[in-house]
Amino acid sequence: MNLQYTTEQNLLRESAGKFLAAHYDYSTFQKISGGESGWSAAIWAEFARLGWLGLPFAEDQGGFGGGAIEVAILMEAFGRSLVIEPYLATVILGGGLVSALGSQNQRESLLLPLIEGSLQLAFAHDDGTAPVMAKRSGSNYVLSGAKKAVLGAPGADQVLVSAALGKDTAGVFVLPKSTPGLAIRAYPMVHGARAADLDFGDIVVPASALLGANEDAASAIARVIDSAIAALSADAVGAMNAMVATTVEYTKTRVQFGQPIARFQALQHRMVDMKVREEEARASCLFATLSLAGPVAQRARAVSGAKAKIGRCARSVHQAAIQLHGAIGTTNELSLGAYAKRLLAYETLFGTTREHLRRYAAIIADPAIAAPGLLYDPAGL
Amino acid sequence: MDLHLSPTDLEFRDEVRRFLDENLIPETRRAAALTTGFINDPEVAIGFHRALHRKGWSVPHWPVKYGGSGWTPVQRYLFEAECARAGAPIHNGAGSNMVGPVIMHFGTEEQKQQYLPRIASGDDCWAQGYSEPGSGSDLASLRTRAVREGEHYVINGQKIWTTHAHKSNRIFALVRTSTEGKKQEGISFLLMDMDLPGITVRPIIGNGGDHEFNEVFFDNVRAPVAGRVGEEDKGWEVAKYLLEFERGGNPVAGRVRAQFARLATLIGEKCPGDADIAARFGELGTDVDAMEMIELSAVSALQTGANPGPLSSLLKLRWSQIRQQLAELAMDALGIDALRWIAARPLYETLQLPAYEEQLLAVMPRYLNYRAYTILGGTSEIQTGILARSLLGL
Repeated sequence: MNLQYTTEQNLLRESAGKFLAAHYDYSTFQKISGGESGWSAAIWAEFARLGWLGLPFAEDQGGFGGGAIEVAILMEAFGRSLVIEPYLATVILGGGLVSALGSQNQRESLLLPLIEGSLQLAFAHDDGTAPVMAKRSGSNYVLSGAKKAVLGAPGADQVLVSAALGKDTAGVFVLPKSTPGLAIRAYPMVHGARAADLDFGDIVVPASALLGANEDAASAIARVIDSAIAALSADAVGAMNAMVATTVEYTKTRVQFGQPIARFQALQHRMVDMKVREEEARASCLFATLSLAGPVAQRARAVSGAKAKIGRCARSVHQAAIQLHGAIGTTNELSLGAYAKRLLAYETLFGTTREHLRRYAAIIADPAIAAPGLLYDPAGL
Repeated sequence: MDLHLSPTDLEFRDEVRRFLDENLIPETRRAAALTTGFINDPEVAIGFHRALHRKGWSVPHWPVKYGGSGWTPVQRYLFEAECARAGAPIHNGAGSNMVGPVIMHFGTEEQKQQYLPRIASGDDCWAQGYSEPGSGSDLASLRTRAVREGEHYVINGQKIWTTHAHKSNRIFALVRTSTEGKKQEGISFLLMDMDLPGITVRPIIGNGGDHEFNEVFFDNVRAPVAGRVGEEDKGWEVAKYLLEFERGGNPVAGRVRAQFARLATLIGEKCPGDADIAARFGELGTDVDAMEMIELSAVSALQTGANPGPLSSLLKLRWSQIRQQLAELAMDALGIDALRWIAARPLYETLQLPAYEEQLLAVMPRYLNYRAYTILGGTSEIQTGILARSLLGL
């Protein structure tokens, strides 16, 4: 058991923090998120130059061989600086699926430009009213159905979509966003990210669009989604950290009744409560991050537990932060509102707090799972 | 980073499990499971403690020269977790976790030789004489007076909330040796025998029906000066050092995890289909997981020689709340059955029912007793004040 960052991990944390502090402040966020595309090509090019776009991919796939911890370090820094570029959609979800499922050819044609910064991806997974079905038709597949709230789809060059192939089988198809017949209704989300609802009508795609020609991709999809939830959880921890720090600083400088309001015990106790929730969220996130490589049951327990726990903590922290700032906290004069909206998005993306709590509760109800501690024998899996 | 147990850790864990299988007898396990207060009776715990002592494991966290085991922080963690999981009792934490470390740090050679071996062996039971009727959270305002007369202090005053004073043969107490200057400056830390003439104990029965707390009265008690730890009037420093151990130090995740697992079984038996109960249980599970991770972070920091920082106040704050909420959910899960009341204590002597039914009768007393968790050892509000300073710099 070891929960200390390595020297390299600390360096990544420092360099990410330094770069973003210099290049991504609240006004940068406002400019980018209020712009047409919702992301900055210049910033994206910097991410590529810093090696961040290739961070989680193996070296033989053109990446830098980072693990879940490295991703979490970066995502926490993104959350703290309100980075709105589609890193999760392109690198973690899109890249993660291509890396896990793609053929050698698909990896080369998709991951290399992605790592260079010239290709963005999105993953359409959340089912709308009509789940996407794929039917074999000669050397093609016909995709039908719709997906909702696909993160990063408006800016993506290629869209990945999960589709049911049979009763219990699923695959992931990759297709150019410009594919004729793909209807896209794009919109900004409350926190500034771009998303779209997609309707696949009855699009015909070549069989080569099926990642890795794999008709049994359900477990790989679940693993990538869980890794996205862990990454997004780190982002939320970063956002909470910023909100707590901002609130403490604000109360130290805001003078009322002749003294900084940070001297009032009622406010101090509420801020400690915020900080405790941040620390608990950080711990849950770490558990989820470390469980991504573990067995399915442990991973589901840790990831859904983290989503449920962090969602609850996030709600309480953003509300307290606004309250302690007083009237100014309800405006966009400060960055506070942007963090609050980011945390609200966290609560709902990839399954709501309630949904994950139900999933977690069903797992943990078994005393055989509830009883053991979190340390485990790696050989006993 | 990883949560893996190394082959050495696994071997160690198996050794602890074997020891527990061989030495934790069913009667002890049952009595511990039917203990509704937060402290095990010495008569329940002593047999197992002696077995630990024979093995050299009774005070594992102490330095080796005083009987400690020399374990790594991870091994200590595993040991506590395994003991908790097996339902082992704990013998007199006031000795091994509070006054023991104080004597090691501040005591004279004579005091170390006189007291430490008897704590390790379980021969002595210590009570903590800190709080007074007028001095709770504001502990330094204490008024129990000690006046020097030759080689004795003559002590007059009163202590309260003295856990297990009626089962202890010794007491450590904060007494006022000077009324000059700041209130923190006239306090001394004294070790005394409970059988000194002039000491009387009056029981205080908790809402849960258990006799754990007492009032202790000092009426012209003559206590040897040789029992003073540290310098005269400098006892506040000693007192604070002890509180660090009381509020943190011992891994606690295993105990809370065990309480959580018992609740899982109870809910499974009693109301498996109740969605509200399941959701509350799930939320508590995420709390337990998070706090265990925080404790593991502290253990990992200790393992590499780093300082875990203000985590101990944070852990005390949250564990105490979580333990209360677990007890509360157990009560709510029982519904009307929670109201059945057996007044006699201890339950392990009173009851003769199937194990599951006996457990149900411990639920309500435990809920009531556990309300004290967020009060003893520094209330949650005091801990929060400490965290405002240490964690937020306020």
